Amino acid sequence: MMGLWRKIPEGWRSLLGLWAAILALFAIGGMFSPGFFSVSQGGAIFRSASFIGMVAMGQTLAILIGGIDLSVGPLVSLGSVFGCLMLAGKDENNLWAISVILLIGLTAGILNGIGVSLLGISPMVMTLATGAIITGAVLIYSQGAPTGNASPALRAVGVGFTWSIPNSVLIWLALGTTLSLVLKYTTFGRGVYYIGANETAAGFSGLRVNFIKTAVYALSGLTAALTGIIIAGYTSVAFVAAGRDYPMQSIAAAVIGGVAMTGGRGGYGGAAAGAVLLCLIESLLTNMNMQEPGRKIMNGLVIVMLMTFYYRKRLGSGSKKKAAG
Amino acid sequence: MTERGRDLRMYLPVYAIVLAVYIFAGWQSASFFTWNNNVNLFGRVTPLILAGLAQTVVILTGGIDLSVGSMISVASVTAASLPYVDTPANLVLWVLVPPLVGLAMGAINGLLIAAWPFPPFIVTLASSSIYLGVALYILREPGGEVSLDATLVSSGKIYGIPIPLLLMLAAVAAAYLLLSRTRFGRSIYALGGNETLAIQSGIRPGRVKFFVYSLSGLFSGLAGAYLSAWMFAGDPLGGEPYVMNSIAVAVIGGSSLMGGRGGVPGVIGGAYIFYLINNILNLLGINPFYQYIAKGVILIAALAVSAPDLLRRLGLERRREQ
Repeated sequence: MMGLWRKIPEGWRSLLGLWAAILALFAIGGMFSPGFFSVSQGGAIFRSASFIGMVAMGQTLAILIGGIDLSVGPLVSLGSVFGCLMLAGKDENNLWAISVILLIGLTAGILNGIGVSLLGISPMVMTLATGAIITGAVLIYSQGAPTGNASPALRAVGVGFTWSIPNSVLIWLALGTTLSLVLKYTTFGRGVYYIGANETAAGFSGLRVNFIKTAVYALSGLTAALTGIIIAGYTSVAFVAAGRDYPMQSIAAAVIGGVAMTGGRGGYGGAAAGAVLLCLIESLLTNMNMQEPGRKIMNGLVIVMLMTFYYRKRLGSGSKKKAAG
Repeated sequence: MTERGRDLRMYLPVYAIVLAVYIFAGWQSASFFTWNNNVNLFGRVTPLILAGLAQTVVILTGGIDLSVGSMISVASVTAASLPYVDTPANLVLWVLVPPLVGLAMGAINGLLIAAWPFPPFIVTLASSSIYLGVALYILREPGGEVSLDATLVSSGKIYGIPIPLLLMLAAVAAAYLLLSRTRFGRSIYALGGNETLAIQSGIRPGRVKFFVYSLSGLFSGLAGAYLSAWMFAGDPLGGEPYVMNSIAVAVIGGSSLMGGRGGVPGVIGGAYIFYLINNILNLLGINPFYQYIAKGVILIAALAVSAPDLLRRLGLERRREQ
């Protein structure tokens, strides 16, 4: 049995471990309260996971090239606030509203990319700065008190089901699978890993480093804005603070899923499982009547616990080398 | 470039911006140069400077502390729920307990980062969540009470000098002396510059990291205590903005997130930019929402200008003769 387990590649092993943990937690939840192990509860958990997971797509890419994207939070807010304002509850506004918002997300991402690659500003600060600018734009455009509603079509995407699976989960599944395949089988995907592993070497071997980096941040901006729009469909009304928790949650999802902070290691499958795990734990603790302070503490402990799992080899060897993750 | 020249280049952009903004503000609004307005500014900017110092010492080692905000929150709610009785000893309680709580939290971060091979980003991400839980456990909502003696710290004066100004200068001076005049300070720079080289030259990275994160906790604790006095209450979410703002302040102030480059002198300027923008928009009666855009633009501009190889990156630099 152990022999078989050892034959599985390392990446798949952590992925299997994560999904085993998710199943176990579902079972534990079911034991404590009968309602927990149900399709509707599962759907709710996966729906909130789909929001974090879609933001984590761009975040995973950014972390894989050794960067980070803190502007995803403001962009989610922008998608939600601009979405409701521009749609004003009418289906005929769908096309232009959604394309304008996605264009803004794309532009913000390209700006991030240019700042990081061409100007050489550190990704954390660059995305922090564009994030501040986007927050300003959201507040100015909505005067701090957003109005409007999502259109019926967007509502259907946000709250509707297909074959009793939430629509947003299906969108996430499609986009996430595409991203995994792109990372694995395209030149772009391999470029992302090369840049994360060693940027200088990647440049010398002829990769268009600046282009790939800009494309990564552009994709991140795009997915964050898209998530904001879908969240607007889910909540129907807009919140300026809709995206507040997403930067840290998407980073946590990627890190829990085994994406190394220094870049070059990990994949989107892990980050997706990480997003589900985060939402599952949150829901489990809420179900057990744990209050917010306790949930926050547990959240932190889970990250530490999973880190000991990912770094177990180096913990075991007791080496004091600089952390590479 | 000489060391002095490098220092100048590092701190010049931030103080040029501060000066420009300051003069612009004075030109636009007569009340800006009044002493009262400036005293008000000292009071507001002090907690951000303390948080900026906390972040700077960590960033210099090439690390990062995302738990600064939560530690400030814990210190602030602790300060607001201490058992004050009606004696001047209150002040001692307020001065000692919250910073020590901060120091303890920072020491836990430091232990984890020094003992385990985990990246600081993740350790402090996790601990910020844990400390936020602790802060919410102590006080669920903004409230509590701070001793009246302590609140005088944020508004009082000694010989006509506002106490926040003294506090801010004392903290900056202490941090500056520690970093530039002691062995410990040099080992921080060495570790941030090149960890392998630092280890080979006899620096123990674990020990330096432990002290640096503890120091970050101590400064955060001071910031939290100060905030509680400024607001007359504790706020479990009050520290949250300081996470990103402290990073921005440290970086605008010339410290590189890669470590080893930067220092304390830029922190005052970095923090001032943040509040000057606020202050000007207020005085000019402009929609305060524009402050976010101004902050973002200034952050990018300051960093683009001080980026060490900007011209080369843009392909504008002429070939230098060796």
